[in-house]
Amino acid sequence: MRKFTEAARPPRSLYLNWPMGHPFGEPGNKAQQMRILRDALSAFQDITEPGTIIDLPYRWGRPEDTSSFECDCD
Amino acid sequence: MANRLINQILARVFTRFPSLLTRVMGKNGYDPEGLNLDDIPWTPVGKDVDKSRVAIVTTAGLHLKDQTPFNMLDPLGDPTFREIPSDTPLDDIRITHDYYDHTDAEKDINIVFPVERLKDAVALGEVGSASPLHISFMGHIDGAYVKTLYNETAPLAAAKLIENGTEIALFTPG
Repeated sequence: MRKFTEAARPPRSLYLNWPMGHPFGEPGNKAQQMRILRDALSAFQDITEPGTIIDLPYRWGRPEDTSSFECDCD
Repeated sequence: MANRLINQILARVFTRFPSLLTRVMGKNGYDPEGLNLDDIPWTPVGKDVDKSRVAIVTTAGLHLKDQTPFNMLDPLGDPTFREIPSDTPLDDIRITHDYYDHTDAEKDINIVFPVERLKDAVALGEVGSASPLHISFMGHIDGAYVKTLYNETAPLAAAKLIENGTEIALFTPG
């Protein structure tokens, strides 16, 4: 799916190799959702070159990739 | 209706096996006819995120329960958009989009439209404010509708966000 992001040429983007329909992760996993939102908001400050795609390292369905997320939500 | 069922079944298959979609789409290519995508749009960040107003623009096919659903009968899709007020109760949001499996998004809309997490970020001081208005498209837009999106509906959606003081637009797919 990354090739479609490359073709559409958005100014700033993040890529996650996660299933379609889950760009912010799993239902009910607030910490995971918050992590992706924070990464996206950071990208606004961090990306200085138009067209940059940041590949996020998180793997789908791997608790060890998400257990350290922190969320002060609710 | 048979076509809708086929699309819904394919969406479930592609959600489970995304490499298949890449193969199928790659065969047809991504060629938005007549559009100049050589230039990447770029607006420098004017101020810090914690002082900015953020809106969500999703292509996940969301609409309010009393808004007209997206057109699933036109094979070229639907280039229109729906306005989603920030204070909409989540129970009032529906998804009409046959081209991805939104079973999980119906359990928790935040996985495609992180409106509650955005409010959390505002409460934590990480975002200046949430826009009172968010926007939803339905991501299947093909053929002549790509130009409609590019020349008409997307600029109109952008104008509505600017009217509401939006400084950062966060795009989320379905």
